[in-house]
Amino acid sequence: MPIRNHRMLAAMAVAAAATVVMLRVFDPSTSGVFPPCPVHYLTGWYCPGCGSLRALHQLLHGNLRAAWAMNPLTVLLLPFLTYGLASYALDEIRGSGMRSSVPARPRLPQLFLPAVWIRALCAAIILFGIARNLPIHPLNLLAPGAMLHP
Amino acid sequence: MFCTQCGANNADNSAVCAQCGRNLQAAAPPIPLQTPGVVLPPGVAVQNYLVFAILATVFCCLPAGIPAIVYAAQVNAKLQAGDLAGAQAASNNAKLWCFISLGLGLGIVVIYGILVMVGIISGISHSN
Repeated sequence: MPIRNHRMLAAMAVAAAATVVMLRVFDPSTSGVFPPCPVHYLTGWYCPGCGSLRALHQLLHGNLRAAWAMNPLTVLLLPFLTYGLASYALDEIRGSGMRSSVPARPRLPQLFLPAVWIRALCAAIILFGIARNLPIHPLNLLAPGAMLHP
Repeated sequence: MFCTQCGANNADNSAVCAQCGRNLQAAAPPIPLQTPGVVLPPGVAVQNYLVFAILATVFCCLPAGIPAIVYAAQVNAKLQAGDLAGAQAASNNAKLWCFISLGLGLGIVVIYGILVMVGIISGISHSN
């Protein structure tokens, strides 16, 4: 188990915890603590991630509906991301990281997505980014916060 | 075959593991992949950094996350085809793009922080 990985893991855990606390305390839509999305700032277009921090802020306050309105993609992906991060962290802590070629102690099952699924996910993310910019009625509800003020 | 308990490599027909004594015939080692038609050697896995690629795309708000996802898909495609070396190369690229995205994201945070500080300082000097 290289020490470097442990340090990396500790740094990521501290960064994640700090971000969660910041997101719980400050509302990204009003506080100015968080930087604006550079894509939206420079081009005026919403990217697939626009509203993701506001969605997390709403989730940390238990407002699933507001979080969904800010960025449904983030809400949908969150369980997968949480599980992926947890299994990665557990592997690193237990020393049976994926780089090892020896199947060691039992661990959280790694999700193996067939390449087709990942490509479909990639396409879905890009299409979501395009759709939320279109001024066509059901699609424009995908823009951050649009569902709250139809 | 590899022992499911300690990972030692044994002859394919051995009844117990030469290293730890585990019964090798009772339970066939589970194949980690449930995809039909895909059989990898047990324990061989190459990190595809998919979770970090998605995090970079959704939270760094930067297009650099997209190549990371494309390379993550390539890792699994090459694994499915049994091309370990190709999977490792794609894995390195996926990691690289995750770090590029992280670097760009941190750069924007730093620039934003500097702009906010400049704004605060100029606000103070104007009010004096």
